[in-house]
Amino acid sequence: MKKILIQGIVTVFLFFGTWFISAQIDWIKIFKIQQMTDKTEQKLGELFWEVLKKNEKENKNTCAVTSIDSIVTNICKANKIDRMKIKIHILTKDDVNAFALPNGHLIIYSGLILNSDSQEALTGVICHEIAHIELNHVMKKLVKEIGLSVLISMTTSNGGGEVVKKAAKILSSSAFDRSLEKEADIKAVNYLIKARVNPEPFADFLYKLSDKEYESTKYVTWISTHPNSKERAEYIIEYSKGKITEYKSILSLKTWNSLKEKLKD
Amino acid sequence: MIHIKKINYEPSEHETETASSSYLMSLIAIIVGLPLPIINLIATLMFYLGNRNTTYFVRWHCTQALLSQLSLLFINSFGFWWTISIIFTEEIITNKYIAYIIAVLIFNLTEFIATIYTAIQTRKGIHIEWWFYGSITNFICK
Repeated sequence: MKKILIQGIVTVFLFFGTWFISAQIDWIKIFKIQQMTDKTEQKLGELFWEVLKKNEKENKNTCAVTSIDSIVTNICKANKIDRMKIKIHILTKDDVNAFALPNGHLIIYSGLILNSDSQEALTGVICHEIAHIELNHVMKKLVKEIGLSVLISMTTSNGGGEVVKKAAKILSSSAFDRSLEKEADIKAVNYLIKARVNPEPFADFLYKLSDKEYESTKYVTWISTHPNSKERAEYIIEYSKGKITEYKSILSLKTWNSLKEKLKD
Repeated sequence: MIHIKKINYEPSEHETETASSSYLMSLIAIIVGLPLPIINLIATLMFYLGNRNTTYFVRWHCTQALLSQLSLLFINSFGFWWTISIIFTEEIITNKYIAYIIAVLIFNLTEFIATIYTAIQTRKGIHIEWWFYGSITNFICK
């Protein structure tokens, strides 16, 4: 009996020992798994953007693009985020919505900009989406909703139209997990504070859009895909309490107004 | 790991054939069972149940074949569900996962080679005892 026990323990140790020793090697680097993942994400980002570009109208107005670019650049600079990673696209659509696609594509609907009471509110929403990109929530969500195998097959078989459309729809009109949303909100507030942008208007914006009057409008996609907006507004306020009070605006009032004017046209 | 034990008994042609088949059964089941590890165990278990009331030699080897599959079932099942969770959930490939798969492959390969060797030797009527599994089998088969 003792012999069996000793042999059994040695066998178990042998297995776990092999596992442990083997785990010390950086297999991810050897098999270039990270590179493969990055390539898949890049291809997916391109595929989704192609689909959106075909079905929606991109706004290439210089004033609009430059203004949003200033906001994003400012946020990235203050938070040491690689600016080249974020690719901004403004689409002409009444929906109050913004969302992130794989490989750093950030889609902003003109409806969101026009419905933002202040540039700080819009900056908050942008920060929230950048946080999703930085925290790799986009790929996590896609893998969870569609599955890695389908995603890889999408990149290797030149799309497969309907599947790509369906996946793009998931990203534009469905929420992340509650925990991921909160994580992105908190990260967004950190981004705002580091860039010296007041986070309060962002919380107010959430509060306003969750109002019944707004809820009944069919265009508020960003809120319908981000549930519990009141609760979110509350914890954003709570979290930003006691942080720095000296805030600044990224865009001048004139530029902000002119951005809205250009989008109205 | 494997050692030949002399037994004071000369198994008949039929016995060596059945005993050898118990290993072959697990061998075939490994191929089918790689994607679904429980198949290995079911196959050897059925063979064991069918031969548990036969002679000592056959019974002994059926038990050893079955026991060897039991431990593989655990490590293979864990690896199988880990892989499934990577494919279908947000779980990602890590060094730990790759290391586990490598350890599983090494153990399966060792088992595979040992099984082939034992099947051949048992067919010749040679009694082969495996490290650990042989000891448990001795403990079970009286």
